[in-house]
Amino acid sequence: MSFFGLQQTDLEQDKRKFLESGLHESEDVAVYTWGEDSYDGLGDALQEGGDELNDETFGGSGAVGKDFDFSNPALPEDKRVSHDAPQVKREQSVDKEPHQHQQPSSLRPSQPSRSTAHSLEAIWDDKSPFSVLPRMNSTSRASPAPSAKFSPFASETFSNAGQQSVLHKSNQPQPRVRTLQEIEAEMLQQRSAAQRQQEVLLQQRHHEEEHIRLAQEQELQRQQRIYQQEQQQLQIHRLLQQQREQQQHMRTPPPRMLPVSQSPRFLEHQRQILLLQQQQEQQQQQRLQELQEQLRFEEIERQMVAQMTLQQNPNQYASRRAVPNLTSPENQVLQHQQLQRRQRSQSPVTGSNITPIQDNMSYLPQNIQLQQRLLSEMTQAEYMRDIQGASQAEQEALRAEAMRKIVEAEKMEEKRRRKAAKIAHMARYNDLMTQSDKDFITRIQVSQLVTQDPYADDFYAQVYGAILRSRMGLQSQDERVIKFGSGGGIGLGLAQKGGNRRPNAMQRMEQQVERIVSNARKREEEKGLHSLHSLQGALGKTSGRSYKAAPRQLLQVDASNPSASPTISPAHAHISKSSNINESAAKEAAKLGREALGTAADTDNLVRKEPLTQREVLIILERLYDIVLRVEQLRRDQPLPEDDESSREWQKEYDSLVDELWVELRVMVPLETSHPHPFISLLTPTKGKKILPRLTRHLSSERMLTLLTLLVACFSQLDVIRQASVLDSNEDSREHADVERQTQAFLGSVMQSILPHVSNASLRLVTGLLGLLLDRSNIAAIAQSKPGLALLTLFLSRVEVIKQTSGSELAEIPSSEEQLQWQTMFDHLFELLAPYFIYLFPSTRAPIVVPPGHSNPADIADQPVWQFLAALALHAVIEQHQVLVTSLREKVLDIILSVNKGWVASEEERQTKLANVNLFLHALGLDSSQVAL
Amino acid sequence: MLIFSVFKTLTDQQVTVELKNDLSITGVLKSVDQFLNIRLDNIKVSDEARHPHMMAVKNCFIRGSVVRYVQLPAEHVDTQLLEDATRREAVSQAKR
Repeated sequence: MSFFGLQQTDLEQDKRKFLESGLHESEDVAVYTWGEDSYDGLGDALQEGGDELNDETFGGSGAVGKDFDFSNPALPEDKRVSHDAPQVKREQSVDKEPHQHQQPSSLRPSQPSRSTAHSLEAIWDDKSPFSVLPRMNSTSRASPAPSAKFSPFASETFSNAGQQSVLHKSNQPQPRVRTLQEIEAEMLQQRSAAQRQQEVLLQQRHHEEEHIRLAQEQELQRQQRIYQQEQQQLQIHRLLQQQREQQQHMRTPPPRMLPVSQSPRFLEHQRQILLLQQQQEQQQQQRLQELQEQLRFEEIERQMVAQMTLQQNPNQYASRRAVPNLTSPENQVLQHQQLQRRQRSQSPVTGSNITPIQDNMSYLPQNIQLQQRLLSEMTQAEYMRDIQGASQAEQEALRAEAMRKIVEAEKMEEKRRRKAAKIAHMARYNDLMTQSDKDFITRIQVSQLVTQDPYADDFYAQVYGAILRSRMGLQSQDERVIKFGSGGGIGLGLAQKGGNRRPNAMQRMEQQVERIVSNARKREEEKGLHSLHSLQGALGKTSGRSYKAAPRQLLQVDASNPSASPTISPAHAHISKSSNINESAAKEAAKLGREALGTAADTDNLVRKEPLTQREVLIILERLYDIVLRVEQLRRDQPLPEDDESSREWQKEYDSLVDELWVELRVMVPLETSHPHPFISLLTPTKGKKILPRLTRHLSSERMLTLLTLLVACFSQLDVIRQASVLDSNEDSREHADVERQTQAFLGSVMQSILPHVSNASLRLVTGLLGLLLDRSNIAAIAQSKPGLALLTLFLSRVEVIKQTSGSELAEIPSSEEQLQWQTMFDHLFELLAPYFIYLFPSTRAPIVVPPGHSNPADIADQPVWQFLAALALHAVIEQHQVLVTSLREKVLDIILSVNKGWVASEEERQTKLANVNLFLHALGLDSSQVAL
Repeated sequence: MLIFSVFKTLTDQQVTVELKNDLSITGVLKSVDQFLNIRLDNIKVSDEARHPHMMAVKNCFIRGSVVRYVQLPAEHVDTQLLEDATRREAVSQAKR
């Protein structure tokens, strides 16, 4: 069987020989089964705990011969195997145990049999280097007392001694009487033996101690390891739990959110720790093994020496004296002692002989292990019991409390975890961009807002801000524009409500943006390409169209195709494909020719035209607006007066623009060209009315007078006059609202724009204007409209002012002739208006049924009429006063009566009524209180 | 840039932003950029029953491209100035 590294034949041979010797009756055959083919290998299959100490316990770590053990009846083959095959020590030691136990029983009775079993052939066949030893062993076993190892007599050869001993043994099986020499030797031996015993005992104790210490150490380490493992397991468990929870909460954690502790690195770390521990264990075992080996070697050495001395001494004795008396009690005792000693002295590492002590020794670590394990289990169980609060009945209350607390804590924990998970979820993109990233993008964004003309590009916000500031009475301390040296800039819009929130940040950004822009410019110069737009679209496209952020326009008006004629609308061709283009074009051409002849058109040359269409009006108005805007922009950009050249240039441009404006206004178009006059047509839309004040600002006073004259001459053509009757109805229609709106716009814009010119007009001019008005329009109709009444009041009050101011203050003192002319004109007006005085009142024209308790809007509507009548009364003479009083008597009495009778809804209404009446009566030199009912 | 300019004057005013998904959000205009991205504060969705998920939202950032209309507070818009600004822009556009 090659299992033990032995030649099968050899073993078999030995066995056969042994069996053939016929001395096997007393032998236990089972002893040899381990080496047979039938060996079932159960030893290999044995799974035992605490195997790491087996080597130590059973001494399997090295080959130690037991050949010197005379009292041991173990088979020499057995020994040989153990020496030859140290690698199988463990199995061996396990297997050996049974027959080792049997040994004592088979020991003494079968003493002599061994030696005879050995033939010389077998010995020679034996390849083991120790093959000779068992022979000696067996021979020496027969010897009555092994001599001391340190015997001084040692000269004979090994083989010789063996042979001699064989002879001696076989020859002297019986006890005999001892000689003095023998006794002496025995005594000497005893002494040395005692010494030796002591020594051995000491050594043994030392070994034992060391062994125990080692075992304890190991046990301690083991415990520690177990604890560590437990801790680790606990930790892992906890981590796993956490992981699970976290996974529950975070299904898709972004890469950086993966907890480091869960990473494979952590597991690797754990593995490494385990590996390290294993390594440490191994190292420890190795160290132990080394120690054991050392011990074993020592033992071998000792045994060798002992054997040598033994071989020498007994031989000596044997040769000199008779066969020792083995049966003597002394010898028995000695032998027993020796046996015990031998067994004891045999280092535990050899392990083949298990003495009680060694047994104990082997048990000890196991016991400790078991105990420790039990203890730990117990504590664990206790711990579990503590946690679950399961078993103890008296702990019911405590348990409930604990459970409640645990549940509470768990809830809190759950809450906290959910919150943390939420925060983590929200925060998972935190700091994806650094502050500098954000700054960079902001700078790109801002740099894209840089334009050559920040004011124009941010026009609305700039002007609105200026208006707001002026309305709030604030100084326009700063233009909300960041201007760069290079000419560009950014409109900032309105100032923040919070004031200069972060002036430093603003400045910093300003500098940064300027740097970006200047860098882009530089690059542009270098490349000569449009690299200023290198960052264009870096943050996304602003809009599909060319202009930034402008919404797509519904009307695609091609304004880039300027018309040759100022009158022909450029949009004509694009918007309207109507068939009358050609006809109108011919008329336009005729008109153009007339215009070329000069504005001082003579009526002979007059080309009557169709009035401007609504579309034409709108187009012209848009052109006017464009011009006005340009003029306004030009005024803002007015150069300093010191700069002559640019001033002149500017003035030239300005003048040309104003001329263009004047032409576009069509004031100089002959009066009779169309009805209504083109200029009046332009005033029809609201935006036409609204442009007038902005436009007249740039017109000279002469042009303004011309405009005023034209307006007065064509007053009846105005939409607000023509449609004034609509306001007399109380119906809540769209038309009504529209006229109302137009009227308000006219009063607010057109009247406002002519007001300063009328209020500066001379008496002659006013007379002329009034004459023109009376001549060209139905004054009764005009007076029944709000704008007409307002215009008449304006004239009258201007004349009143002229009359009251002394001559020195006026530029031109009205001559008596002019005064006479005025009076004539006034009389004419009075005459014309006299039948309609009562109808001037809107309340008369359209009596409003006002439910009592509501303030009468008619009173407010009547107010301008009372004002006009008062102005009229101021200019009127006595006869005219009587006419006025006669026609208005009922109205006045009505109001006074209602006021006195308290037929008014409120004090406010009463006062309004009274004020209205008194306004008129005061002009007559009367008062409402004087009126007798 | 006109609309951007207009919106600049409307910061800290209440506006209603109608989105292309028919969501209509009223809130205080905090900021706007050249893409007409809008940041609103103290928002309230007009039809809360239909958009319950917006109830908890207190402020929002609206991408400019998803806006259909913005209702401006009339009292904070100068219509005539806006007309002028539009004309100016049209003129400057024609020049290009």
